[in-house]
This record gives sequence, structure tokens and C-alpha cells, in this order.
Amino acid sequence: MKKINILGLITFLVLVLVNLPFLVIIPSSFTAAGYLAFPPEGFSWQWYKMILDRPEFIDSLWTSLKLAAITAVLATFLGTLAAFALSKYKFRGSGVLNALMLSPLTVPSLIIGISALLFFTRIGIAGTFTGLLLAHILISIPYVVRLVLTGLSSFDYTLEKAGYMLGAHPLRVFWDITLPLLRPAIVSGMIFSFLTSFDNVTVSLFLVAPDTTTLPLAIFTYMQETLDPLVASISSVVILLSLVFIILLEKVYGLERLFGLNSQSH
Amino acid sequence: MSKRLSITLLTAPAMIVLLGVFLIPMLLMLLLSFQDENEAFSLKNYALFVQDPFYVQILWRTIRVSIWTVLATLVLGYPVAMYMAQATGKMRGIVTMLILAPHLISVVIRNFGWVVVLGEKGWVNESLIALGIIEQPLRLLYNELGVVIGLTDSFIAYMVLALATSMYAIDPSLNKAASILGASRVRTFFSVTLPLSLPGIIAGTTLVFSLSMSAFVTPALMGGTSVKVMPVIAYEQIMATLNWPLGAALAFLLLGSTIVLVTLYTKLIETKRYKEVFAS
Repeated sequence: MKKINILGLITFLVLVLVNLPFLVIIPSSFTAAGYLAFPPEGFSWQWYKMILDRPEFIDSLWTSLKLAAITAVLATFLGTLAAFALSKYKFRGSGVLNALMLSPLTVPSLIIGISALLFFTRIGIAGTFTGLLLAHILISIPYVVRLVLTGLSSFDYTLEKAGYMLGAHPLRVFWDITLPLLRPAIVSGMIFSFLTSFDNVTVSLFLVAPDTTTLPLAIFTYMQETLDPLVASISSVVILLSLVFIILLEKVYGLERLFGLNSQSH
Repeated sequence: MSKRLSITLLTAPAMIVLLGVFLIPMLLMLLLSFQDENEAFSLKNYALFVQDPFYVQILWRTIRVSIWTVLATLVLGYPVAMYMAQATGKMRGIVTMLILAPHLISVVIRNFGWVVVLGEKGWVNESLIALGIIEQPLRLLYNELGVVIGLTDSFIAYMVLALATSMYAIDPSLNKAASILGASRVRTFFSVTLPLSLPGIIAGTTLVFSLSMSAFVTPALMGGTSVKVMPVIAYEQIMATLNWPLGAALAFLLLGSTIVLVTLYTKLIETKRYKEVFAS
């Protein structure tokens, strides 16, 4: 029993450490002082009111939300279609295609960002919302493909067959049988894409123009010049927003399963 | 609809994105890295790397910081993974949630939290001064230590995931067998748990190493201008100096050296015996 306690203690410390940034940021966003302090001095909402006076944060929050939402919908759509083809049909080159769909994961974001900038400059969409959106869809597709493929691996195709035999139209079979059974995988692919896009800095860094800046990037830029409680208050807003989606993900799919940790293995 | 048509229709949209945003741009970037100012073929961007000790130093620093990060995540992550493997369902779920959830929040924000904790007027320094342990604030940020702390926090979840996956696969009756045969806990650890978790160690260390080598945000925010690593230098060439061929070459050199180092490392550690044991 003693061993578990030592392990438990170390585990507890590590958990505190990885969550420490949030435990520090949220309290210090309520400071009444004019500078960053932890523990905070006094209590005030002033740094939250201050966000409203900073259009760059409001605009970039709006850009980020819009970008993440469109990315989530499109990446999920494209990724789900591809996963269907890969799972349902056995064909030559399916292994290569599968590896190709997952390949953006294996290349550093830095290289994805630089190469997209070079190519987008050539075709004239560098610095546009479209360019940014395309890059975000690209980095989200692998996650969707992987999640939906996992969902499909345990999918019982005889259910579809039963639908056809009872005379249902293929679309009706898809809508009433296939889709509901895959909903957890598809929905979690969508939420995960949303978060991937909403958090991204390294790819966006190369593709934004001043008027298309995303929120994480606006914070990144601001932080390099000024460190004040305003960063804490805007960060707290992002933490709360992300938390909503994380809890949703946990409810719909489970983080353990999402990250490939199977709790039923023993 | 024929099978071939269905496959094409289903995969075409994703393939178009993959081609247009990933494969073609990568090819273009590779070609560009072999060009000089006049767009003629040249090896000079790569040659510069060998000639100028500045870039070699930067690469070496990037490798050093990444190795420290790997060691820190391994030492801190191993007990966590062991705990998760031994814990019961509910506790395991809580630990998993608490280690993975931060990972889904932007790295910029996590780094900012660490700046508040580690800064000159940060929580750690203020506390140590208040306790009279130190007189001058310690320099915990804007040096390699700061970068390693930030990267460790960023990537420890990957390490724990890799280790836990391999530990979940260890048959718990092996531990029982070892203790019935009279092995101490320490002996059981070194003869059973550690060797059987080797695949997780290899997966975790190579993953964290590769991620650390190409990390940009954390070195930029927690290393400041004094700890420049390869990704930061490549970024500067692309966005500030606007020397795109050199920036592209630097990024590929970084990727190339990462792949070479990871390959050497796995070759070294995956001995014949290892392959026999983990053949499946």
C-alpha cells in the first residue's frame, strides 16, 4: 500500500503543476492592482472591463470563434467522408491513402505554416481568412479521420444491410442508421477540430494579416510587449470557453477514449 | 454507383485540401530551400549551416533543451503512468482528465501562467524572498531552464499517454508472480515493470523529443530573445528578414536532424532481445 501512496503523492504534485497556470491566471485576473500579482491584491472586475476597450481582443475573439466553428464543420465533413471510404471499401492503395490522411500530424506545425505561407503568397490568398481556414481544416482532418475510423471499426454493417432489405432508400439508411450510431465519433471529431483550431498559434502565425488575427495570436503578440493583468483576464475568458468544450468532449466521448487510452483493458 | 466512383467521391474533397494545403506547398518549400536570391539552383542555404558556427550552436541548443525536456517529462510522467495503471476506474478517470484537459487549452495561456509563477516578481521568487531563503530573485525565465519548464508542462501529457498505454498492457499477475517468488518491490520494478514498459518509454521519448525540437511558442515566450532555438530562427528568417529560402532550409534542417537523431536512438535501444520480446 505504501508504494501507491508515494506514487499518488508524485501524481498529485504533477497534476498540480500542469494545472498551476490556470490556478494562477484566474485569481490574478481579479486583482485591483495595476500590475500582475499573485496572490492578487484586492478584488476588482476592472481588467475584464478593460477587455471591452481593446478592439483587437474583441475582434480576434470573434475571428477565432468563427474560424474554429467553420473549421469544425468542414473538417468533420471532409474527414468523415474520407473515413467512410477507407473503412467501407477494401481497395488498392487504401493503406497509402490512410497514411496520407494522417500525415499532417507527423509534420511539425512550423513547416506546415511556412509552406502554406509560401504557396498561398503565390496564389494570392496569404493573409486572408480563406487561407487561414484552409490551413486549419488541414490540421484538423487527421483527428476526424482517426476518430471516425475508430468509430467505424466497431460498426456493424449488417444493420445497414437490414435497412436496405426492408426497402429503405440509401440516404434514409445513412440518416436513420449509420449516422446515429456514429454520432459520438463524429461529434467528438467536431469538438476536437474546434479546439485544435481555437488553440492554434504556430500555423496561424504565418498566415494572419492584422485584420484576421486570431485570439491566441493576439495574446501571444501582446504578451511579448506587455505583461499586465489584462492578459490574465482575457486568458481567463479563453480558459472558460475552452473548458465548456472540454467538458462537452468528456461527456460525449470521454477524454480517455479520445486520446486512445482504453480503461477497459484490464 | 460503382465502387471506384464512390471511393473517389468520398475521398476527393479531403484529398484536394491535402494536396493544395500540404503536399504541393511542402514540395514548393523544398524547392525554394535550394534557391539563391536569383532563383537559381544553389546549395548555399544548406552550406551556410555548415560554414557558420552560429547555426550549429543554435541547433545544439535546440537539441540540448529537447533532451532536458524528454528527461523531465520521463521522470515526472513515469510515476503518474504507474499510478494510473494501478488505480481503480474512477480515480484513473480523474487523473486522466486532470492531465489531459490542460493540454486542450492554448499553449500561449499555459506559458503565460508560468510567466506569472516564475517571473522576477513572480510567485516563486516573492515567496522565497519573503521566507528569507534568497535575497535576490532567481532567474527562472528567459533562459534555458524557463524553456525546459514550459516545454515539460506542454508535453508531459504525451509522455504519460505513451507510458500508460504500455503499462495497461502489462499483465498484473506478473507482479504477483514476482512477489510470490520473493522479489522485493524494487526488484519487481526493475525486472518486470521497467523492461515491459520499454515500448512506452521509446514511444514517449521520441514523441516528446520531436515535439520539443519543433516547438516555437514556448521558446519564444519563456526563452525570450536570449534563448533562440531553431524554430525561432527559422521564423525570423521568414517573417522578419524575409529570406524565405534560408528560412525554408533551416526548417528542413531541423526536421532532418530530428529524424536522424530519433532513428539512431531507436536503432540503439531496440536491440535483438527487445525485438524478440515485443515481436507482436
